[in-house]
Amino acid sequence: MMKRFGFALMLIMVMAMSFGCAKKQVAVTPEEASSSETAVVEVVETEDSASMNGTAQANEAQLAEEVAAAAVALADTPILFDFDKFDIKPSYRAILKQNAELLKKLPSMRILIAGHTDPRGTSEYNLALGERRARAVQDYLIVLGVPATQLEIVSYGEERPAVQGSNEAAWAQDRRAEFALIQ
Amino acid sequence: MKRSYILILFVCMVFAMTANANARSLEIDIYGPGQNKINLIQSKPVIAPAAQKSPQTVESAAELSKLIHNNLYYLPFMNLIKGKNILGGNIVAGGTGKSIDFKKYQLANVDLLVTEVWPEVPNNGRPRVELRAFEVFTGKLVLGKAYSELTPENMPNVADRFCSALMKKLTGRGEFFLSTLAFVKKANPKKKDIWTVRPTGRDLNRLTNMSGLAMSPTWSPDGRYILFSHIGKRYHSLGIWDRLTQRVQKVKFPGNTIIGPAFLPDNKVAVSLAAGGNPDIYLLNHKFKREKTLVQNWAIDVSPSFDETGKKMVFVSSRRGNPHIFLKDLPSGKETRITRNGKYNTSPSISPDGELVVFARRTPQGHRIFAMDLVTGKEKQITFGPGNDEMPAFGPDGFFVAFSSNRSGEYKIYLTTRHGGTPRMVKTGSGEATLPSWGMVPAVSGR
Repeated sequence: MMKRFGFALMLIMVMAMSFGCAKKQVAVTPEEASSSETAVVEVVETEDSASMNGTAQANEAQLAEEVAAAAVALADTPILFDFDKFDIKPSYRAILKQNAELLKKLPSMRILIAGHTDPRGTSEYNLALGERRARAVQDYLIVLGVPATQLEIVSYGEERPAVQGSNEAAWAQDRRAEFALIQ
Repeated sequence: MKRSYILILFVCMVFAMTANANARSLEIDIYGPGQNKINLIQSKPVIAPAAQKSPQTVESAAELSKLIHNNLYYLPFMNLIKGKNILGGNIVAGGTGKSIDFKKYQLANVDLLVTEVWPEVPNNGRPRVELRAFEVFTGKLVLGKAYSELTPENMPNVADRFCSALMKKLTGRGEFFLSTLAFVKKANPKKKDIWTVRPTGRDLNRLTNMSGLAMSPTWSPDGRYILFSHIGKRYHSLGIWDRLTQRVQKVKFPGNTIIGPAFLPDNKVAVSLAAGGNPDIYLLNHKFKREKTLVQNWAIDVSPSFDETGKKMVFVSSRRGNPHIFLKDLPSGKETRITRNGKYNTSPSISPDGELVVFARRTPQGHRIFAMDLVTGKEKQITFGPGNDEMPAFGPDGFFVAFSSNRSGEYKIYLTTRHGGTPRMVKTGSGEATLPSWGMVPAVSGR
C-alpha cells in the first residue's frame, strides 16, 4: 500500500512537472538543460502509466484535494513588508511556520513565491526589491525544513498591485510576498 | 576739415559694424550653462511657376514644410516665429541670398531663415527641393541642401536629414533627428510591449506582442537588437528582438530574476541577475552567456548605464541602506557613491561623454529628475513634475534627456535637456508609456 501511494505520488509529481514544462515556449539555455527538470521529464518515458489502478486514483484524488486546500490557505496569507524593506516581520513568523508544516506534509506540492512592491519606487529597483522579498520568504521556509525543490520565486516588482489606491493602506497591501500553487 | 572728420568717423563705424557682424556667427553651445534661444522662421515655400501645375509638387511643398516645422518644434533652443510677424509677408523671391529681402526679417528679430524652393522638374519627374538656412543679420548661407526624387514616403526622411544637418551646423550634434526611442507601452495590467517611435513622434511601431510584461528596452550600438527583460507568470527572461528577423528570442538565467539590461559600446551586455542569491550586475558575452561579475555584494545592484567608452558605469546600489547612485570605473574597479542627498535615488543614465549623470530622486512631491556633474560634483534638478518624473535616458548627443512622467495623469514619454528645458511630450498613442531608451537605427532600415 505504502509503495503504491509512493508510486502515485511520484506520478503526480511527474505530471505536475511535465505540465509545467509544456507551458514553457522559450529557448532552452544550456544552464536550464542541466537543471533537475530534464531528469524528471526523463522519468515519464520509463514510467508505465497503464499500471495505475483504482486505489491509486482514489489516493490521487484525495491528495489533489489536500493540495488544493493547502494552496488556498497559502494564497490567503500574503507576507507583508515595510517600505523599501525585505526583512520578515516577527508577526509573520507563525504564519510561515504553518506554511512550512503544510509544505512538508505535502512534498508533492510546489509553490511559487511572488515578490511585490508598492508603486512608489521606480520599476527596476522595485523588481529587485520584489526579488529580495520573495527570496527572504523562500529562505525562511528552507530554514524551517521545506525542501528547496518545492519552492520557486518570481518578482513582479510594482507591476501587480494587490489593491487600487494611492494611500498607505493600499500600499501596505501591495508590499507583499504571495504564494501560488505551481500547477 | 569737419566734413572729412565726419566721413572718417562714419567709415570707422561701418567698419566696426561689419566686423561685429562677422564675429556674430550663429552657433549654439548646447553644453554650456547659458541657453540662448534663436528666432527661426520658415519662409513660405517657393514653387517655380512651371512646377505649380503639378499637384504632387504643391502637396509635397505643404507637407515638407509641416514636417520641418514639427521637427524644429522639438529643439528647445529654437523660437519658431510666425509668418504674420513679417511686414510685407513671409515670402522670398527665390532661394539664393540675393533674391531675399533680409531687412523685413531683421525687423522682426529673426536670426535664422529657412527657405524651401521647389524648382521645375522636367518630364513630369518626381519633385525636387532645395532647402537653405540663412543667417538673417549677415545674409550668410548657413546650410544648403538639395533633395530629389521626392515621394510621400521619403519626405519625412528628407525633413529629418535637413533638420539633423541644421542642428549639427548650429550645435555640432545632429543625432536627435536620426534617433529612435524604444519604450514600454502597457496594453493591459498583465501585458506590456516594446514599441519604438521617433523622438519627434513619427513612425510609431510595436515590436513585441507577448503575454507578460516586456520591460527596460536597450539598443545595441549598431541599432540591430533591442534587449529587454520579460516578466512572465513564472519566469523572467532576457528578450532579444532582432531587426533583421523581426523576431524575439528569450533566454533564461539561474536565479530567475532578470532586471534592466544595458548594452556596452562593444556589444556586450550588463544585466542584473540573482544568480548569486540577490540581484548583482553581470557582464554577458556576445552569446548572452555570463562572462564575469561586474558588481557583487549582499545588497541590491541594478540599472547599469555606460558612457561611450564603456569605461564608466553608473548603477543603483542599496548597500548603504537606501538606493543610491554609484559610479564604477571599470579599468580600476573602483566604486564610488555619487549621490549624497535624498534617500531614494534610482534609474541613472550617464551622458556619452561620461561627464553628467541624470537620475530620479524620490522627493516629498514625487520623483524628480536630477543631473549630477561628475566633474564638479554638483547636482541640479532638471524636472519639476507634477506627479512623478522617472527613468531618465540620455540621448546620443548628450543633450536631450527622455523620461517618463505621469504629470498629465497617465505615464507618457517627455523630452527635456541636460539643462532642464521645458518638457515636450512624445506622441506615443494611447496607453501608459514608460522606460524610454535611445538608439540609432541604420538609415536603410525600414523602421
